[in-house]
Amino acid sequence: MKRLFGLLLAGIVVFAVVASGCISPGGETKVTVTFLSTQLNPPEERAFVQEELLKGFTDETGIDVNFVPIAYTDLITRLEGEQQTGKVTIDVIGDLHGGLDYMAAKGWLEDLGGMPKLEGRTFINTLEKYSYIRGQKVYVPWMSATYVMVVNKDAFKYLPEGLTEEDVMKGTEKWTYDALLQWAKNLKEATGQPQLGFPAGPKGLWHRFLHGYIYPSYTGYQAKKFNSPEAVEMWNYMKGLWPYVHPSSTVWDAMADPLLKGEVMIAWDHTARIKNAIETKPDQFVVVPVPRGPKGRGFIVVIAGLAIPKNAPNKEEAWKLIDYLTRPETQVKVLEKVGFFPTVEEASGKLPEGPLKILAEGVQAQASTEDALIAIIPNLGEKGGQFTSLYREAFERIVLKNEDPQAVLNELGPQMEQIFQEVGIPMP
Amino acid sequence: MERRDFLPYLLLLPAILYLLGFIGYPLIQAFYLAFTKDGALSLETFRRAISDYYFWDALKNTLLFGAVIVPIQLALAVLLALFMNRTFKGRDLGIYALIIPLTISDVAAGLIWFSMLSPYGFVNKILINLGITDAPIYFFGYQFRAREFFVIVLAEIWRATSIVFVIILAGLQMISKEYIEAAEVFGAGYWTRLRHIVLPMLKPSIQSALIIRTLFAMQIFGIVLILAGRDIPVLAAEGFRQMVDLKDPGVASIYALIIAAISLVLAGLYVKFLKAEYLEVGER
Repeated sequence: MKRLFGLLLAGIVVFAVVASGCISPGGETKVTVTFLSTQLNPPEERAFVQEELLKGFTDETGIDVNFVPIAYTDLITRLEGEQQTGKVTIDVIGDLHGGLDYMAAKGWLEDLGGMPKLEGRTFINTLEKYSYIRGQKVYVPWMSATYVMVVNKDAFKYLPEGLTEEDVMKGTEKWTYDALLQWAKNLKEATGQPQLGFPAGPKGLWHRFLHGYIYPSYTGYQAKKFNSPEAVEMWNYMKGLWPYVHPSSTVWDAMADPLLKGEVMIAWDHTARIKNAIETKPDQFVVVPVPRGPKGRGFIVVIAGLAIPKNAPNKEEAWKLIDYLTRPETQVKVLEKVGFFPTVEEASGKLPEGPLKILAEGVQAQASTEDALIAIIPNLGEKGGQFTSLYREAFERIVLKNEDPQAVLNELGPQMEQIFQEVGIPMP
Repeated sequence: MERRDFLPYLLLLPAILYLLGFIGYPLIQAFYLAFTKDGALSLETFRRAISDYYFWDALKNTLLFGAVIVPIQLALAVLLALFMNRTFKGRDLGIYALIIPLTISDVAAGLIWFSMLSPYGFVNKILINLGITDAPIYFFGYQFRAREFFVIVLAEIWRATSIVFVIILAGLQMISKEYIEAAEVFGAGYWTRLRHIVLPMLKPSIQSALIIRTLFAMQIFGIVLILAGRDIPVLAAEGFRQMVDLKDPGVASIYALIIAAISLVLAGLYVKFLKAEYLEVGER
């Protein structure tokens, strides 16, 4: 009886070992790459990644991918723990530029400079440039997003003198904020209604326009010159512009609807939030670069990158996954499904005619303007909300409540400085 | 002691546990978040809350909404309930129709009114087609806060009068016919009966309706956010912003506690000044 029990136990142990994959009878071992991402986390995007995108990779290479959507703070906690104990389980990290910058500064990421070349793709110059931090290749640019202007083609009839449709489409020297003001004025006089719109509602991304577009255009910086003579000039411009901005702007969260309903002819918003307007009426709208200010053409580029943590268990397979995710075909698929823009130039040649091409061309035109002043959203963690609400408060008090710009900036400027001091990063 | 003596306490136990778990604990935590710093008592968070640029506006607007909306709703609900308390053909249908808005969430109600009154919504289209105006009337936007206020009041009355109506109607139906008939025998006219019998006997219902409505009015949030964005800051929305956007749970707790405090004070006033007279048989 005792012997029988012993045999049975031994049998169970052998079975367990084989079944768990430690010793596979015959075939080779199957590798699973663990991929943690702060991007593509909403359920429908997650389903697309797991069921379509990564399935293609597994079919091709035989490598399984365990896709783990994760919040930024959780990712940092887990990565820090794994790096400290030396038990690394993460193979690939997908996160925004600011987060990856932080992880690299902590020394948690592999320098990708020595990895084999990724064939058949040219990374967009600016994005490639940003992926090198402190002389290290921190990540591979994966996806990008930005905010642009959408113009209803009818609005071109009312262009101010000296500004042509081509100036606007290509983003030339003449396409300035002053020209926008003149254009908005013409539109209001011709139609009787203000025709310029912004998503300045509580859930709108209006604060991004303030810190990433008009501030850099006028001051050259997002926050460094928050309180400066240039900033006062900018706020005075905004005061002058506001009478030609649709009054409902302070209630709007996204611009697709107002554009489609014909409430405004020119709007600024995140590409994902105007996509619907262009998809519904691709013949009616064009996507154009934003205007420029005295210091250049400020705009935000959101860059998501792929990185490999130090001592990742399956480095080689991780690189294969990065290779797959940055191929032009894969990137086009991502653009079609979730609206993130490709990071490789070859992808635009693979886009079908239609609404997405209109968007992609507008984004490309903006990215390749010569006076581009790229703003990367600073990585302030929990303080991010305070940072953006200072811009909104300044806007509300100066433009809407007509308070003196200098007085408001004097009051809010120290608060801005304090945020960056507390987080310990330089002001952008 | 007999076993029966425990029974009432046993029966109360689930309710007490529920109150402790879902109201008591969060309340203690809110106080902790609001009035401590690094484990010690501190008023710093409170100071931070009241020095926020939007704080006093939010407090003022919330009270103003309550002061405007609740009395109108009460008057309207009493009128409707008196009307619906008669018997006539189609009465049931009328009651159903009045109750429909009760089933619609405040955000949905906000969206309905927003699309109706937006510059290209159907109200403006009708006005333009009838030649009453030639350009759309703007109801939304910072410049039009008075109109936004008006639209919010309108939407709240449309949406939430029915809850008051239901309570008042139920109260009316509980008033015994005998009192009315007795009054009629003594020759009391409609107004006299209303003033001296119906309204006094309605007091308990009015009291509970007022308490419920006022509590909800102090929490007004979704409908304001949809119709006015942050043009008109209110306490609940600012509390939400402090928690979600600014990641400041301490200040958010203070907003929540202020809403709770105002609600308690107002409910206390209702209880004091609307002393219910229970005239039902057997009560005295």
